[in-house]
Amino acid sequence: MGLSFQEKSLWVMFVGLAAAFGFYFATVLPPLAPNVMPEQVVTFVLAVAFLIVTQIVGNIVIAVVDRDTQTDERDRLIALVGSRNGGYVLATGVFLALCTALLTNGNFLFMHVLLAFWVLAQLVEIGSRLYLYRRGV
Amino acid sequence: MGTGAGRITNEIRTLRFHQGEMTQQELANRIGVTRQTINAIEGNKYSPSLEVAFRIARVFGVPLEQVFHFAED
Repeated sequence: MGLSFQEKSLWVMFVGLAAAFGFYFATVLPPLAPNVMPEQVVTFVLAVAFLIVTQIVGNIVIAVVDRDTQTDERDRLIALVGSRNGGYVLATGVFLALCTALLTNGNFLFMHVLLAFWVLAQLVEIGSRLYLYRRGV
Repeated sequence: MGTGAGRITNEIRTLRFHQGEMTQQELANRIGVTRQTINAIEGNKYSPSLEVAFRIARVFGVPLEQVFHFAED
């Protein structure tokens, strides 16, 4: 079975997220100071800009190639299950980020634990959806 | 009424064949879902809502139980 528009779009988001924040974390880790430094903010902005551009370009290309952008009840169910799975990861991350804020000095670790779990939650949500599209729901 | 797990199977592929080899896309268009969803239903990877199940049965002009079967494990 060929990939639907939704699956292609999810793959673009998955690869874009992994690339953008893989680059970001590879650049800013290990931490050099207890607080986030201005050049790290610039790197973050570059990663977000890369993500936005790849999503816009990727989805335009997919829409040109695959004009059937219709969604239905199965897409909505898969999105709900994916969102639930991602939500568990995000809730865990928020808790760990709060623990980090209480136990460490500066804002670097707090910010990056939170960011890492947000990225991980997104990857889990998208990955779950891609898996359910193939395995069935 | 049993409480064990079960599996919903269907005869959509056969019914499409008997409807002049209707394609998945044609069926999808007539009931308002995507071709991928018809494919998933036929492959028993997705159990549709009652509304979609009734729409499918109506397209083929047969009762619901001639399209879907429930088999208890």
